[in-house]
Amino acid sequence: MSEPREITYAQAVREALRQAMQRDPQVFLLGEDIGVYGGAFGVTDGLLDEFGSERVRDTPLSEAVIAGTAIGAAVTGMRPVAEIQFMDFITLAMEQLVLQAAKMRYMFGGKARVPMVLRTPAGSGTGAAAQHSESLEAWFVHVPGLKVVMPSTPYDAKGLLLAAIADDNPVIFIEHKLLYKTKGFVPEEYYTLPLATSEIKRKGKDLTLIATSVLVARALEAATQLAQEGIEIEIIDPRTLKPLDTAAMIQSVCKTGKALVVHEAPMTGGFGGEIVAQLCASEAFDFLDAPIRRLAGLDVPIPYNRELEKRAVPQVADIVREARALVRGEY
Amino acid sequence: MATQVIMPKFGMAQEDATILRWLKREGDVVEKGDVLLEVQTDKVNMEVESPGSGILRGTLAQEGQVVPVTQVIAYVLEPDEVLPTSDERGTTVVTPTPASPIKSDRRVTPVAQKILAAAGVDPSSVPSASPEQLTRQDAEKFLAQQRMPNDTQSIRATPAARRLAGEKKIDLTLIPGSGPQGRVQARDVVKTPDAPAPKENVLESESLIDEIIPLQGIRRTIANRMQASSQTAPHITFTVKADMTAAYAWRDEMTALAKVEHAPTVSFTALLVKVCAWALMRHRWVNASLHEDGIHLHRAVNIGVAVARTEGLIVPVIHQADRLNLGDITNRLNDLATRAKSNALTPDDVTGGTFTISNLGMFGIDEFTAIINPPESAILAVGRICKCPRVNEQDQIVARPMMKMTLSADHRVMDGAAAALFLRDVVTALEKPTILLW
Repeated sequence: MSEPREITYAQAVREALRQAMQRDPQVFLLGEDIGVYGGAFGVTDGLLDEFGSERVRDTPLSEAVIAGTAIGAAVTGMRPVAEIQFMDFITLAMEQLVLQAAKMRYMFGGKARVPMVLRTPAGSGTGAAAQHSESLEAWFVHVPGLKVVMPSTPYDAKGLLLAAIADDNPVIFIEHKLLYKTKGFVPEEYYTLPLATSEIKRKGKDLTLIATSVLVARALEAATQLAQEGIEIEIIDPRTLKPLDTAAMIQSVCKTGKALVVHEAPMTGGFGGEIVAQLCASEAFDFLDAPIRRLAGLDVPIPYNRELEKRAVPQVADIVREARALVRGEY
Repeated sequence: MATQVIMPKFGMAQEDATILRWLKREGDVVEKGDVLLEVQTDKVNMEVESPGSGILRGTLAQEGQVVPVTQVIAYVLEPDEVLPTSDERGTTVVTPTPASPIKSDRRVTPVAQKILAAAGVDPSSVPSASPEQLTRQDAEKFLAQQRMPNDTQSIRATPAARRLAGEKKIDLTLIPGSGPQGRVQARDVVKTPDAPAPKENVLESESLIDEIIPLQGIRRTIANRMQASSQTAPHITFTVKADMTAAYAWRDEMTALAKVEHAPTVSFTALLVKVCAWALMRHRWVNASLHEDGIHLHRAVNIGVAVARTEGLIVPVIHQADRLNLGDITNRLNDLATRAKSNALTPDDVTGGTFTISNLGMFGIDEFTAIINPPESAILAVGRICKCPRVNEQDQIVARPMMKMTLSADHRVMDGAAAALFLRDVVTALEKPTILLW
């Protein structure tokens, strides 16, 4: 195995796409502006030249078409990787994803397989306003038949994307716009990370912090600040929201007695509620030494104003404040 | 109709009682007035009679369990009747009668209204410090009193704290919480010392223990009060000897008179009560109690007489002994002793004492010192009467019936001289009983 190099999250995703396409001729890409333009965030840059327009297909501006084409191709034996340019517009593909992709295997008595991946960048922080900043992961977690992956690092992004492409079920693969430029060590060769495995991103004893996507990075930064006050928080990234691996977080809460769940999507109806409920119903309950708290986006559309945009979702200072209060019993 | 059997309130200050044993079992046919169970307050054992006739049902309270007064502990049902559901039972909480009459136009402050509404309590049943208005303080005080003393469910505590307290066998209600609104957190339990290790964990010493008597009811009361008294009251003790020759003659004379009067025989204990009552009237500092606001000198002389029983010592009180004659005292003593042995004392029989006499003479004890029974300030420990050599006024050694007495006094309340003067009067009255007529 070669030495891992430091590459960006976007490069890691591109490398995963390239390696999947190299290994399996059934894998192809489709989406808006992914070919000539290289993708709105440059993720598919260069792949058109490498694999040709048959396998890197620019589509019309119709998310329903993108999703429907991917589903149809998957059912006929291809392994499509579709891109929805902004997660916000997945709303236009909902019927295809929820009623077709998620149901097909079930309704055809197991005879149909839908081995497709739908990649899409979510989240705020780029000044793209309310219609280009959504975090809609909770919608898909709620649909039986879909898997939902939400990686927070370049290493996880590559390994999980390759696992998602190899999976025979429809997978919603949620990237984050702010993560694309973040760097991390990633092995050069092909590897997969099993779906439905969470990871402890930082060890600690005072508080279990469960975070997803870009909030993992903010939580790590908050943890560094809190460590200077002698507060050691343990950070767990579920990585796959569905199926959800709860073992590590339950074990961690049994140890720390306190839990804080952090995500960017609005609090109400957010995925954090599911994590809280699972923890409360587990053996961790008897170890809880404080109410489990959530820190999540405000129940507002993401504002265009940059300052308000920041205020609408949890930032490092918010995590520090909330975690400190929980640990000190000053909640 | 289902008749409720509630935990009776035997005394004014009583908050709960321990279920000693059920004499009737679930499903037994009972008649009104049948004794259903025995309970133990911190003072006495009492019998609870059936309030109706029918079938005993819903006897949920276990033997050994502490139950707040007025809580339903069972039902007497008609043969075809079903047990009320727990919801219906939940509504049977009896609210205490307000201490002072409540004015119908009493103002209830908005915050008090809100607090009481949240607890589902009718403000008209809540006493207030002022007859004019019911404040937040009144509401909170009332609700705090409503809470059962050992009800850990109504305590604010985190699940982890509950689990740890369970593991350590610590009563959560005794742990001060450091969390928000006094919530008990794990760290509060961790820093509380463990309860004594359970039996199964001490295999070695287990073989040395024949039986463990739970410290409850009277035993716990005795333990707590004696420890508190011994630790807080600086005891000073004084021992004297009384020549009981005259007392003997006096008692013989009284016995002869009792026969004529068909009255009960007067005992030395009765004489001691009379003598102490007389002396206490002359030495008010001995008949006193130490309180926050100072030393209370009591108007009444209420003398407790310690009675030994297998279940534990009990001290029935002869109230206003200074106003009773020897015949009354004798009758009262006999009545209390009989009822003490049959567990039929009421809480009022055992409260209000201002001085205690503990006589172990019948056990052959020469002399001993006793621990003051708080909030009293003195206790007289009386030994046996035995013939001892005594030098009389003619310098002759003569055999005389002598009795040793030791007074334990609380030095915070009285000085040695005050105690000594009291004791001197006791001796004088025993040796020259005629002085009682003075």
